[in-house]
Amino acid sequence: MRIKKMYVILALLILVPTFIDLGVPIYNRDSPELLGMPFFYWFQTLWLFASAGFYIVFARLKGNQK
Amino acid sequence: MISSDIVIAFVSLFIVFIALGFYGKYWRRGDLNHVHEWALAGRRLGTTLVFFLIGADLYTAYSFVAIPSGVFAKGSLYFFAIPYVMLTFAVALVTMPRLWTLAREKGYITASDFVKDRFGSTTLAIMIAITGIVAELPYIALQIVGMQAVLTVMLAGSANAQMVEEISLLISFIVLAAFTYTSGLRGTTLTAIFKDVLIWITVFAVIIVVPLSIGGFQHAFSQMKANYVTLPSALMPAYATLILGSALALYLYPHAINGVLSSESAQKLRTSTALLPLYGVGLAILALMGILVFAVPNAMHFLSGFPESSRGILVVPSLIMYTMPGWFSGIALLGIFVGGLVPAAIMAMAQANLLTRNIIKELKPNITNNSEIRITKISSTVFKFIALGFVFAVPATYAISLQLLGGILIAQILPAVICGLYVKSLKKTPLIIGLLAGIGSGIYMLEAANNFGALTASLFNTGFGAIYIAVISLAINLAISFGGSYAINKTQASKMEKN
Repeated sequence: MRIKKMYVILALLILVPTFIDLGVPIYNRDSPELLGMPFFYWFQTLWLFASAGFYIVFARLKGNQK
Repeated sequence: MISSDIVIAFVSLFIVFIALGFYGKYWRRGDLNHVHEWALAGRRLGTTLVFFLIGADLYTAYSFVAIPSGVFAKGSLYFFAIPYVMLTFAVALVTMPRLWTLAREKGYITASDFVKDRFGSTTLAIMIAITGIVAELPYIALQIVGMQAVLTVMLAGSANAQMVEEISLLISFIVLAAFTYTSGLRGTTLTAIFKDVLIWITVFAVIIVVPLSIGGFQHAFSQMKANYVTLPSALMPAYATLILGSALALYLYPHAINGVLSSESAQKLRTSTALLPLYGVGLAILALMGILVFAVPNAMHFLSGFPESSRGILVVPSLIMYTMPGWFSGIALLGIFVGGLVPAAIMAMAQANLLTRNIIKELKPNITNNSEIRITKISSTVFKFIALGFVFAVPATYAISLQLLGGILIAQILPAVICGLYVKSLKKTPLIIGLLAGIGSGIYMLEAANNFGALTASLFNTGFGAIYIAVISLAINLAISFGGSYAINKTQASKMEKN
């Protein structure tokens, strides 16, 4: 059971950023703006930090697994 | 025309760059007469160095030239590069540590080594090697186009600009060839760090200075057409498939796999891969320059002096020239210049490994260790000059479009290299047929999409809208590889039962 739960968490850490990445309609809008930049541009740029966060957790968990 | 402080900054930093390249030989000494020492820096690179080395693969002329020029000409569609780099690291994070572990156990240096061992097929391994070498050529050519763009902007208005440009390129390539020959991957890793420091300084300076001097992003975006502000809904399938196709393709390029295998451990590889999306921030800033430049009248005036088709590639260097002080422009332009040079070296080394290990050695198995390393070093030099000749012979705009062809080709080795890591039931014959069908259909769709003329489009119109060709031909390839393997396994199983 433990191991299964771990795999679900690992999969989600990869799949959540991927889903948002490929779900273009989610971020294809112009407002709200940030510093005059349309949502489309600033969201994708800031989302880079969030996905690095997801990936780092994935790397840590995967490393502890062995 | 050209001011002296730009030249002084540019040339003196180029001398530092050369010194670093040659110094690489003495850095973390190893016996450079072994292929894995020369080409993989002895597999001893830690988290930070792998981060920079693979980052160097990403921050190439693709970021400085292809993406900003796409945004400049076509708008938001070309911002796909940002979600693409995000996704490609997810793919790498899951798959590459596994390839690394196998490679360390069995001594693989290339993806082709793995395929040969896994499927026991020399034919498939050679086909994978050839695909890698060919797909890499237009990518190298793109690097040279980027370097050319820097020189064009710097030399604009001076006498004999064309001749000075070609001689400078030639000299840079001779220097590059000399230090990769002597220092191998150690030299390119050191220069990659140098290059990245210059690029990060440039990117942050530009993103602070330019919006302030033009009255904010608001001002820049308010002048743009709608397709520069958000993505037209008809292009959403194109956007998503460009992300997916490019993300799957990047880590199949021989130079990327080379970077992966030079890592010291699987866990260090994971950590550096997980952090690599941060590199995309710089890429996003560079992409935005394709829009910001419209709000800088001097730069637009300068660009209007060039034919429309070649303006895009000059966007980033001319924006820098017209918004930054001279000495800073010199530093930034050198960063972009070596930003093409370093990846070109890494790519040519990866090609040379494939040629020697997976093609020449297959045909002439009793080659000695010494001649193997000699052939590898010489062919890496030859590949660089082939790409250079290619750029001199073919107009720049054409070379950028060829990079899209590279992506379509390299994506086709995914079933053997990536699926082969996980799926036990895959068989060599369907993989060979799938690879050929993927490449064949990819080239056909590319030609059809461009009406059999010059290559400018990489999207194919389907019932679902325009879709990146690499994704369609990869789907065909996967269907054949898996369908065929399933059929073979089934017939074998029923034969077993009869016996």
